[in-house]
Amino acid sequence: MAEHAHAVLAGADERDLTKISEYRAVGGYATLEKARGMSREAVIEEISNASLRGRGGAGFPMGRKLSLVQPPEAAGKPTYVVANADESEPGSFKDREIMSRVPHRFLEGCLIAAHAIGSKHVFVYIRGEYLAEFDVLKAAADEARDAGVLGDVTLVIHRGAGAYICGEETALLDSLEGKRGQPRPRPPFPPVAGLYDAPTLINNVQTLANVPLIIDLGAAEYSKIGPEASPGTVVYSLSGNVQRPGNYELPLGTTLRELIYDVGGGIPNGRQLKAIIPGGSSVPVFTPDQIDTPADFDSIQKAGSFLGSAAIIVVDDRACMVQLALRAEKFYMHESCGKCTPCREGTRWMVNLLEKIESGEAGHADLNLLRNVCDRVEGRSLCALGDFAVWPVRSYIDKYRDEFEAHLDGAGCPYGGESSVDGVMAPVDLHRHLPLTEVPA
Amino acid sequence: MSAPETVTVTIDGREVQVPKGTGLVETALAAGIEIPVFCYEPRLGAPIGACRMCLVEVEGMPKLQAGCTLTAAEGMVVKTAQTSKVAADGQNSTLEFILVNHPLDCPVCDKGGECPLQDLTFRWGPPVTRNTFPKRTFEKPIPISPTIALDRERCILCYRCTRFSSDVAEDDQLVARERGAQSIIATFEDQPYRAPFSGNVIELCPVGALTSTQYRFEARPWEIQDVPTVCGLCPVGCNVDATTREGKVKRIVSRNHPEIDEGWLCDKGRFGFTHLRGGDRVVDPVRKVGQRRYETLSWDEALDAAEEMLRAAGANIVTALSGSETVEQAYGLGKLLRRGLDAHVAVMPEDVSPALDAFRLPLSAIRDAELIVILGDDPVVERAPIVDLWIKAARRKGAEVVESAIGEPGGGLARVRDELGERIRNSERTILIWSGAGGHGGATIAGLAAELGLAEKPGSGAFHLPETANGRGVADGWAAAADRDEADPEPIELLIVSGDEAAANPDVRALAEQAERVLAISMFRGPVSGWADLVLPGTSYLERDGTYVNLEGRVQRLRRAVIPPCPDELAWIAKLAERFDVELSPHPPQVFAELSERCYGGIDYPAIGEMTALPKRAEAVDVPPTPKTAKREAGKGLRLVSYRPLFSGAAVERVPELQFQRPGAEIELSAEDAKRIGVQAGSTVRVSSNGTSTELRARVNRMLVKGVARIPAEHARDLGTHVEVTT
Repeated sequence: MAEHAHAVLAGADERDLTKISEYRAVGGYATLEKARGMSREAVIEEISNASLRGRGGAGFPMGRKLSLVQPPEAAGKPTYVVANADESEPGSFKDREIMSRVPHRFLEGCLIAAHAIGSKHVFVYIRGEYLAEFDVLKAAADEARDAGVLGDVTLVIHRGAGAYICGEETALLDSLEGKRGQPRPRPPFPPVAGLYDAPTLINNVQTLANVPLIIDLGAAEYSKIGPEASPGTVVYSLSGNVQRPGNYELPLGTTLRELIYDVGGGIPNGRQLKAIIPGGSSVPVFTPDQIDTPADFDSIQKAGSFLGSAAIIVVDDRACMVQLALRAEKFYMHESCGKCTPCREGTRWMVNLLEKIESGEAGHADLNLLRNVCDRVEGRSLCALGDFAVWPVRSYIDKYRDEFEAHLDGAGCPYGGESSVDGVMAPVDLHRHLPLTEVPA
Repeated sequence: MSAPETVTVTIDGREVQVPKGTGLVETALAAGIEIPVFCYEPRLGAPIGACRMCLVEVEGMPKLQAGCTLTAAEGMVVKTAQTSKVAADGQNSTLEFILVNHPLDCPVCDKGGECPLQDLTFRWGPPVTRNTFPKRTFEKPIPISPTIALDRERCILCYRCTRFSSDVAEDDQLVARERGAQSIIATFEDQPYRAPFSGNVIELCPVGALTSTQYRFEARPWEIQDVPTVCGLCPVGCNVDATTREGKVKRIVSRNHPEIDEGWLCDKGRFGFTHLRGGDRVVDPVRKVGQRRYETLSWDEALDAAEEMLRAAGANIVTALSGSETVEQAYGLGKLLRRGLDAHVAVMPEDVSPALDAFRLPLSAIRDAELIVILGDDPVVERAPIVDLWIKAARRKGAEVVESAIGEPGGGLARVRDELGERIRNSERTILIWSGAGGHGGATIAGLAAELGLAEKPGSGAFHLPETANGRGVADGWAAAADRDEADPEPIELLIVSGDEAAANPDVRALAEQAERVLAISMFRGPVSGWADLVLPGTSYLERDGTYVNLEGRVQRLRRAVIPPCPDELAWIAKLAERFDVELSPHPPQVFAELSERCYGGIDYPAIGEMTALPKRAEAVDVPPTPKTAKREAGKGLRLVSYRPLFSGAAVERVPELQFQRPGAEIELSAEDAKRIGVQAGSTVRVSSNGTSTELRARVNRMLVKGVARIPAEHARDLGTHVEVTT
């Protein structure tokens, strides 16, 4: 049985940590004071020593990122902290848990990060559809402001307008600047030229929420949690065909078997496991024989996929992999920003081909073409979205090729009209925008 | 400045040395290798890496890289599609993806034959299509404006047009809407793209998505001829190619002169050419025979009539010039009248001053300035549009731009001297610009430049934005014809009106009232009908050979793009000169050779060539004392400042597609005056003066001095120097 290790979410089961008084009662914002008493370099060193890796998907060491950001004196302009709260990956819902249950811990992390790079400006870019979370976060920010916790730091919470691409850090920065949210060519990377062309630290919510813990415990103590190479906890978002879907904060390296069967209570209705998507809808799929892989950055990557945002999607044997591929690809077609050619045109073409395969009208040539289009999109787009749009489809084809072939030459879908992918990633229609503002009657 | 560090880059096995930081596309070119591009266009600012046409293999990088976003670094090893299979496959895939939704309607597309997408597809693209699905289609063509049509299904979303709109012209009107494969180029709420530089997006478009409504289906690239010439519609003198087919101008495109226009044109220069085919074009000489009746003459009869008029008037002739004549034409007319008839008096289109020659710079130097000071009451874009783009480029690079308030006494000169004098003296790169009336042809700004020590600073200089395209050249030509000055004749036996601009000048019209007879040279009947006794047909800058002098003082060459429907001016002036025993060649090169020594240091006509170099700064700073500004007339109400809008004049009036660009019937008021009078911005006000009144829409402009109102000239026609504004 996996051990629950509450770190980021610590205390949230016992107390209402959305209130600053409650958060202070468990030692909240004391760490900020401690950090502000330390030199910037010392704070950065502590975080570097803790080997904290970014929880947004790429797993980039936060300490390294911090040390790349020029301080304002050297840059000759203001520097910025931007929290990426645009959690949009299908299957991922950890940041909303963190923001709605421990908003102050997240804000404290932002403020410590601001101190570490000498920044006076914190921007939180929150996903537009996260209305309830926005309200909680805003109330917490107001409380913190009223309590004088912010000091001379300006805190801005900016709501996105419903675009997956704005979770990509440079597209997020463009959107935050008021432009069309589209990725920028890199380099320069944000620590060199980010928001308003100034040095910018941009990190995921969960990464920042880990920071108070590191400063509080010290790097040495923090490193004892989880595996040596990537210490700390992670909030796994477990979804799909499991008994108990939800967010579970556990040490990194918990195996997929533990996650699905111990934590998640196994597959419902006596069904069999067919596939595991270990890092959100964009990553290559695992087959059931890979179930003993520990879910940490390195182990998953060694096994051929990515931990990504630690969104574990469980697929049982009712699922048609073509339908699942179509569901994923429609999402990426819908969310492709339109800036670069391969992603914009490739995703649409892939959807066309998948629809043809699902309908039974396709032949082997179409399947081979689809597989080839995947290869021609991968690695050639401006940002990672092009790759994200390829990996699920290509890995489904490669690992479940028989099932794709069973659809061909007039055969049609062997699963018939049964809605076999219920609960596995939301269909694209559910990603359509919610009203961004509620107009009072 | 120290020499920039040089780095060695290996491209396709060829070593090339370039300054560090040179873009990879340019580095490859230096090695004689082309990296194909669509979205990359250095004039639009930083590369965006969107189209993925320029994919190359770079040693040490796992994925293909967009060549356009890379810069040369020491030891870099690059393989382009020429030597790398992976890169070739990358470029092939980019083209395949682009063509998935491109209609391939090349046979009916205006771009076909001069289309980068077509060219690159032939070289790098797939020979067949693997896409079997229906392509995206849209309603077509969509009129982006009366001058630009958009065929959305041809668009490859390179974002060149939107980047031009937001990052160069800064009009922010063309944008991308929607997302992914549904992305479209559009204007906000489908309003027309109304901006002075909109036509540039047609040339920027690497496919046939944005086309000119004037050129649509008019010609194919293999049946046209481009004539390199110079635009004659404003004093900038943008270098253009006039595309002709079967003796007609079909379009005007840029012929990038990096020091003058950097490849941009204003819409007047681009779309104004159809005035050549204006409905009231004068093609035969006509003589007035009744109140408003004219009879057509043969050229022999016309020359007889002109000779008779000249002989009858003798020296009592006044010549009103337009500033649109070539140098040779002004010289020829001058030589005929001054040497043949001793008639020396001319009404010049505007003041010109050689004093500015000591502060001469190419227009491109504006971009490198750290401080730009603009004096005068007219918007720069209305007088010399391209200058506005250079100023915007400078501002984006960090230059500070200081503008005098509109209606400020003395154009704001005294204030600039007091408030900025010290800074300008200490600055290495300051540009002074006079934009508006009252600058005495640049003498005023030259005086300020001399006083502040700009002559010694190679990065600093001064410009005067004249009103006419060749006012300077016309003055040079007229002056070169003879050495005498005469007082105004009394009475005026004959007034010669040379050109439509002179014909539209109210002062010239007043002279005509005094003159016994009027001989007019005009392209159109409209401006001269009813008051000229003899009208000889005029020609356009696109129909003549000769030279123009632009606002930098650069002599540039006009080339005849099409044969005019009548002999050009110099041809019959030479014939007439013969009758007065004045030797005058009808050939511009010979005329130029005659005057070059006196005006332009003896430069050779062929040396002017296709792209002219800027003459060196004049050595001696001989700045006349700043002439006294005429005392302002007192009057009741607000003092009226009016300016000639870019989209006005005889040419623009005859181009139907440009009518939407003409200024609205508006009056600009200062915030204080608007408040005092109780005017809401956007509301209609009554503007009265001299017993006349008109209704105009009010606009508040915070750059206006209290007590001053500004109205575009064509809406201020009958108004006096002061106006009363009531709600």
